[in-house]
Amino acid sequence: MIGNDIVDLSEAQRASNWQRPRFLKKLFSEAEQHYIKTSHNPFVMVWRLWSMKEASYKLYTQLNPSRFYNPKEFQCSIKGNKGTVRFKDFKCYLETKTTSNYIISEARLEPNKLTSTIVKFSTTSHKEQSAVLKSKLLNRFGIEYHLKKREFNIPFLSNGKDNFNISLTHHGNYGAYAIA
Amino acid sequence: MNNDELITKLKTIIAPYIQDEEAFKNLSEDTDFVKDLKINSANLVDIILDIEDEFDIRLENDDMEKMLDVKSAMAIVTSKLNK
Repeated sequence: MIGNDIVDLSEAQRASNWQRPRFLKKLFSEAEQHYIKTSHNPFVMVWRLWSMKEASYKLYTQLNPSRFYNPKEFQCSIKGNKGTVRFKDFKCYLETKTTSNYIISEARLEPNKLTSTIVKFSTTSHKEQSAVLKSKLLNRFGIEYHLKKREFNIPFLSNGKDNFNISLTHHGNYGAYAIA
Repeated sequence: MNNDELITKLKTIIAPYIQDEEAFKNLSEDTDFVKDLKINSANLVDIILDIEDEFDIRLENDDMEKMLDVKSAMAIVTSKLNK
């Protein structure tokens, strides 16, 4: 089981305004808002915590097939580039990589090194990006595998016999896939 | 406010965030923000904040949890306005 999430920092800058009134309060706990306020780069911290929450949500919904929007309750604690996220009685382990272009987080049930393969897109179309990401993943895995979706849009790879949990993410000009 | 007026207001709010024009043109109560309109989940909170500002209401975490499609957004706004 694996969940990943990528944030394109220039897209985050363009498409979101984390400083708008009530934005932080809606998404982040008191402890997380403290991380943001005391960070030397609050913008990067906002999107790091966000990617941790999203990656954890993807992992959680693989275990508990469902769909909902409750980022605030996925509560992050961080140490260096690692961290944990708790949601109710669920807990997972995160590793995050931050570059000047993007932030990627990966969530697992046990601590693990980040394994996501990053893809930089040359197209801005959402549909084309999905297709590129999918073909890169299938090229890597072998053509006998197909990308399938479970209920609630949860993706997995299958060759008809073996199934593999995967996680796909894209934002702005960047995407990534991870195989559990 | 009737349903048509509400949908029209919601459409104006949602428009800046959509990434699928075709789905947006065909928007109905069943349209899903993420699956159909390809709205980035990071922008769902902007839609929630815009809805709060437009209708002068406040949405709690429980309300936000269901905000995944036009139908739920309409139900939440209607219930808040009737309070």
